Amino acid sequence: MVGRVITDLKNVFAKSGYDYQIILVDDGSKDETAVIGQKAGVHVISHILNIGSGGATATGLSYAQAKGFDIAATLDGDGQHSAADVLKGIKLLDEKGGDLLIGSRLIDTQGMSRVKQLGNKGLTFVTFSLFGVKITDSQSGLRIFSRKALNELKWKTAGYEFCSEMLWRAKQLGLDIREFPIRAIYTDYSMAKGQNNWNGFNIVKSLLRRRIMELFGE
Amino acid sequence: MSRYLLLVILNTPLIIAAMMNTVVGYKLGHMGRRRFFFGLSFWLLIFAALVFVKPIYSYLFSNNLTQTEPLSLFDVMQITGIIFTLFIANRAYGKVDVLERKVQDLHQELSIKLSEKNNKKTRN
Repeated sequence: MVGRVITDLKNVFAKSGYDYQIILVDDGSKDETAVIGQKAGVHVISHILNIGSGGATATGLSYAQAKGFDIAATLDGDGQHSAADVLKGIKLLDEKGGDLLIGSRLIDTQGMSRVKQLGNKGLTFVTFSLFGVKITDSQSGLRIFSRKALNELKWKTAGYEFCSEMLWRAKQLGLDIREFPIRAIYTDYSMAKGQNNWNGFNIVKSLLRRRIMELFGE
Repeated sequence: MSRYLLLVILNTPLIIAAMMNTVVGYKLGHMGRRRFFFGLSFWLLIFAALVFVKPIYSYLFSNNLTQTEPLSLFDVMQITGIIFTLFIANRAYGKVDVLERKVQDLHQELSIKLSEKNNKKTRN
């Protein structure tokens, strides 16, 4: 699946006129992810240990920051985001400004199961309740970052809860958070790979702990 | 020797050490201002409670708010044990927090450096 994601990105960005680099972060996976990335000619960063999606995203963005990228985008490797949506987001940020642009799957929910909608809306509500960030999809992996966001935005959690924490940190830093509609592509593969609603409880628990610890200056 | 005095004597070094750790941690940049004030207030509160434990007990007892026996030697040892555990837990938490951040940064840096090396090799 990751091979197809890379091919789609290459096809779309080759015609975009942007000077781009595709970075694949392999978070200590046991499969052929890194080999596929290397064969496809993208820059592969392999984690020695499995850290979690928050840690993998931090590594990729840290590389982008070190290389002085003007804009960086993150997307999931399970194929649920289309390359066209990534390009659309980059163009939006480039032309209309903003620091952190979120690709929201919940503005147009076509194709998303009710269970997924419920889980994502629930976590979005938790994010709003705990951190006061008003957004329609707090868990989306498709995010576009300005250079300012790349330089300033840091978070502490390494698991899936980083999605909400990142928004919180962006709000604390006074970054301009915006969103745009995207269409999520659900296949059997992405359904199997994505987080299930039960994991949502772990995310809420971790976010709650983080919020309470922050009260004591953590 | 009064048991109340013994309680203060046994616990004062621990509380001073804990407060010193908090101040040093703050000065070295291992914690933020809020955590520093919280840590300092926490240990000061414990110290104040130990120093004023006798008047507090007398007040509670005379106002029928407690029926417990006055401080025994076992109570002194137990309270000292609890404070020692708090001291150790607080220290361990601080160290784990700093180490966790260091390991994460190291892992990230190492992965990026190795990737640059590996990607160069693949290109060649």
